[in-house]
Order: sequence, then structure tokens, then C-alpha cells
Amino acid sequence: MKRINNFVKNTFKDVPKDKRDEIIASVSEKLIEKVEDLIESGYELDDAINKTVVEFGTMEDYLLDESKKLKKLKRKKTIAHYRNDLLFSVFGSLITIGILIFINLYFLQGTLWFVVPSIAILWWPLVLLYRLWNKKESKKGEKDE
Amino acid sequence: MINSDIIRGHLESVILKLIIEQDRYGYEISNCITERTDSKFNIKEATLYSVVGRLEKKELIESYMGAKTHGGKRRYYRITPLGKAYYREKLKEWKELKVLLETLLEAK
Repeated sequence: MKRINNFVKNTFKDVPKDKRDEIIASVSEKLIEKVEDLIESGYELDDAINKTVVEFGTMEDYLLDESKKLKKLKRKKTIAHYRNDLLFSVFGSLITIGILIFINLYFLQGTLWFVVPSIAILWWPLVLLYRLWNKKESKKGEKDE
Repeated sequence: MINSDIIRGHLESVILKLIIEQDRYGYEISNCITERTDSKFNIKEATLYSVVGRLEKKELIESYMGAKTHGGKRRYYRITPLGKAYYREKLKEWKELKVLLETLLEAK
């Protein structure tokens, strides 16, 4: 029955925490009932478990309308994550470029060579900005559908 | 095989009807549906269990642990008075819908 428990846990791992345990407990119970039923009607334990797992379906089947809400929530989280990445990259590159300027002006005066590595470093926040915009754009596209 | 989307809206009524007939446990309900429809409508168990859970939350059915013949225990569901009333409403609704669709779709 451990396999059933693991299967159910795995199936519902993306459900919000407040509901997850309740769903897992109730579904596991029903599936174990089914396995016992199948064994009684002549199935081997492994076959019974396989049949139960195959016939169960997916998390989307269980959550029906709620799965859409769940996807939206996940998407919001991803965007927040991307925004954090962008913030980090902006600060990271600012500090690095600052150090370059300092070294340039303090120790090695003459040419303004710091511009060249700075351009390379600026690709870092640029890429993340592109990624964030891309994600937001695809969200808009889905709404229009 | 019938697309389950069409029946989904009536799934609550179907389950209530099965539980009104006699107290049943989860897998028995799914088995019953498969048997009665000659496997033409094979409902995903995930969907079924979520509807059962919803019905229980709405207090249309209630569960109790029943003894099983071979050791072990099963969670049986039984109908509540509220559930019976709800089912009667749904049945009336369905009959109206049936007549309505017949007039609309099979009109000559």
C-alpha cells in the first residue's frame, strides 16, 4: 500500500498546502479500498495496484475547475520569481560595474576601458528582463484566447 | 464512448441516486456506473472522488466506517435528508431539460 500512498502524494504534490493533506488522505483511503476489492475478486497485489493507479486519472481530473485557478497561481509565482532574478541581476551588475569604474579611475587612468566589460556585464540583466517580458506577454496571449 | 464533459454537470445527481439506492463506498460507486452503462461511460475515478468529497462537504451525503466481511474497513456513504431533497430537485430539473432538448434537437 506504500506504492498507493506514494502515487497519491506524487499526483497531488502541486495542490496548495492547506488542501493537500486532506485530499491525499481521502483519495488514498478510497484507492486502498479499491485495491483490496480487486484482490478479493482474484487479482494479484501488484496487478491490483497497477490497475488502480492506471485507472485513477490525473490531478486535473480531480480538481476540474480549480485546476485553472491553480495554474494561474503558479504563473503568478513564476513571474514573481523572475522579477526577483531581475532585481538581483540589476544590483549585481551595478556593483560589478561600480568596481570596474573605481579601478579604472583610481589605478589605471588614461583610457576609459571599463566601458567594454560593462557592456558584457549588462547582458545579464538584459536577458532576465527579456525573459520576464516574454513570460508576461505569453500570459496576455492566453487571456485573449 | 460518451464525452465525460457532457455528463459532468449531472454527475452529482448520478452519485446521489446511487447512494439513495443503498449505502455505498467509493469504488463501488465507480464500479456501479461502469457496469450500468456497459462501460460506455467510463468516469475517471479522480473526478468521481472529487465530486463525492464535494457532496460530503455540502452535507448532502455523510460517511461512516463500515465493517467489511474480510477484515479491514471501508468508508461508506449514506444520503442525508438534505441530499434527498437536492436529488429530487435535480431530477425535476433533468426531466425538464430532457423535454426541452428533445423539442429543440429532434423537432421536425
